[in-house]
Amino acid sequence: MYIMPKSQARALAAALAEDYDLHGPVLREESGEPMFDRVEDPAAIRLEAAIPYNPPKSVVFPQAERIMSYRYDREAKTVSLERDDLVRPKALVGLRACDLNGLLCLDRFYLGQEYVDEFYRDHRKKMFIVVNNCVRPFPQCFCVCTDSGPAAREGYDVALTGDGDDYLFEAGSEKGQALARRLGLKEAGPGAAGRKAKIIDASIARFDAEATENKAWISRVMNRITTGFISNDIWEFIGDQCFECGACSFVCPTCSCFNIEDINSREGRTDRMRSWDSCSYEGYTRMAGEHNPRRPVEDRRNKRFFCKLSYSQSRKYLRPGCVGCGRCNRVCPGDIGIANVVTYIRREITKAGAK
Amino acid sequence: MSGANAGAIVTVPETAVIDEIRDEIEDVRTFYFSFENPEAARAFRARSGQFVMCTVYGAGEFAVSLPFSPEDDRPHLSVRQVGKVTRALHELRPGDKIGLRGPFGNGFPFESIKGKNVIYVAGGIGLIPLRSSIVHVLQHRQDFGRIILIYGSKSSQELMYRDMIEKWKATEGFETYFTIDRPEPGWTGPVGFVHTLVAPAKVPVENTVAFVCGPPLMFNSVIKELLAAGIKDEAIMSTLERHMKCGIGKCQHCAIGRTLVCTDGPVYTYKQIKTLGEQI
Ligand SMILES: Cc1cc2nc3c(=O)[nH]c(=O)nc-3n(C[C@H](O)[C@H](O)[C@H](O)COP(=O)(O)OP(=O)(O)OC[C@H]3O[C@@H](n4cnc5c(N)ncnc54)[C@H](O)[C@@H]3O)c2cc1C
Ligand code: SF4
Ligand code: SF4
Ligand code: SF4
Ligand code: FES
Repeated sequence: MYIMPKSQARALAAALAEDYDLHGPVLREESGEPMFDRVEDPAAIRLEAAIPYNPPKSVVFPQAERIMSYRYDREAKTVSLERDDLVRPKALVGLRACDLNGLLCLDRFYLGQEYVDEFYRDHRKKMFIVVNNCVRPFPQCFCVCTDSGPAAREGYDVALTGDGDDYLFEAGSEKGQALARRLGLKEAGPGAAGRKAKIIDASIARFDAEATENKAWISRVMNRITTGFISNDIWEFIGDQCFECGACSFVCPTCSCFNIEDINSREGRTDRMRSWDSCSYEGYTRMAGEHNPRRPVEDRRNKRFFCKLSYSQSRKYLRPGCVGCGRCNRVCPGDIGIANVVTYIRREITKAGAK
Repeated sequence: MSGANAGAIVTVPETAVIDEIRDEIEDVRTFYFSFENPEAARAFRARSGQFVMCTVYGAGEFAVSLPFSPEDDRPHLSVRQVGKVTRALHELRPGDKIGLRGPFGNGFPFESIKGKNVIYVAGGIGLIPLRSSIVHVLQHRQDFGRIILIYGSKSSQELMYRDMIEKWKATEGFETYFTIDRPEPGWTGPVGFVHTLVAPAKVPVENTVAFVCGPPLMFNSVIKELLAAGIKDEAIMSTLERHMKCGIGKCQHCAIGRTLVCTDGPVYTYKQIKTLGEQI
């Protein structure tokens, strides 16, 4: 472990900017809102900013992305296909642990299973990750319930933990070590690991008093959802509150559904575009002849909660597909962010237990 | 990549030339094709029951079954015109080109059904995904017991692959039952929905597998009849359909419960279908 004065954070970002496109938390000029974005100027990165409104998902899975283009000349009967390869190396500086875990969820999904998602892989390949461990939680957070924060355990090149005027600097990879050398950082000495553990313990201890917007006792609920314990009335009650706006999917660091369309340009080229989609939209599963196997709104809502709390992540990887960032609760006009849903279900479990 | 679909064309489609187009029934045409690149043609090894993603250049991509038997049929697709991309496909002429990705999906299990009686129940264009399996089974006639095709459509004009079926009938012991929804002049066969033929066909129960494919309503009533006849859940197979975008288990459009039709299916046993927890 190394010591890095907080004043050196800009130098760290500047060093990475030489080899990578830089991304990190920034404050919007007009409103002061924290956003995760591409930055030109390393000084724009605000490590102390609150958890950004948007997750870093779009860095690896852009909201709309050309994955291929082609030209078909019907007269000459010729086809020329082009696979896009526009992906540049990227550095993510100042990621929170929940969002890093979100990326790891996406990795397991897009890079695992039978097929690899080549477009995602291209974005992910050349990447440098500096995680910023949370020394105190924000009001919306519940990463302690999803086992994804406040400190990162894996998947980073560098992990920073604030310690007064300094950061404790841990290298998680060879690349991270090289950066420490390049910045000329001092070794932190033998007491550092213990100091870090204390800082993180103190952070966890603050959740009760400070992370008050959401509580999600997820593990018990996951077990009950997976074993089919939750009755249909509850799902209906939850589904009835959904406006089908898709906001929860779009702000979620682990939601990965997409659509694909071929779009013709005036120059005679066709772009194959993929873009974010949401399983809460009614048209998501619509088929010919008005057949829609997932018509009732509670079916579609279920899909997201099952995906986060039962199917895709927990069955295969023994962890929830939710990383506890609290964003869906903030944006949901129907008040059914994941933490609330877990609370509803938990209440039901308690009631059933009392009977 | 390893596993069942090693060698699939995954990301960028391979171009194929349409050699010939045949009208089947109203709005359904069969497109015979061959890959432009001989390498791709050699590498393309599909199993019965699998599907491909077909690009109509300038219009988009859609999922489509592979109705031909890789061993002894000309490669082709049979497609009903229903929307944007399939309409654009129907506008193509011989010599035009399309793109193909695949083959994807699990396919029918042939090893485990050897020695059994095989019943096919199809409704309308549901015969398309069953076709390759029928060709295969008839080709290996000696490996199977009774082979029965029960097939129904709206009218006699809408029975698919009629010439083909006439030829198949020459195979010894291939039993066929046809029905149409409403009476029509000149039709002497049975009238009524396809599930009404299951009982008259006196399907064998022991050592029997059934393949069912058709619109969702037909599917439910056929299953009921087959179960009533005594066929077991795990011996009934069907290919499910979902709106598909990626074909490789990533976009999630085809999710039913915890399975994905594009990679876990499209072939499911009724025993599995019952546990999916969603409508079919
Ligand atoms: C595994 C599989 C095998 C298939 N095999 C065949 C086949 O052999 N022959 C054939 O004609 N069709 C087949 N289909 C259906 C075919 O994929 C759809 O008809 C096609 O996607 C419609 O595309 P479109 O752009 O023309 O229609 P769109 O313009 O996208 O839609 C028109 C209408 O069709 C609906 N639709 C879109 N996709 C599907 C779909 N996958 N299933 C049902 N309705 C859909 C839309 O919701 C809309 O109502 C298969 C589908 C799957 C999943
Ligand atoms: S959820 Fe946890 S890791 Fe994420 S910002 Fe809040 S405290 Fe930090
Ligand atoms: S489900 Fe909600 S709380 Fe969980 S990771 Fe997604 S946006 Fe964050
Ligand atoms: S944000 Fe809320 S209302 Fe909007 S789709 Fe998600 S659950 Fe439904
Ligand atoms: S079609 Fe994309 S996951 Fe099945």
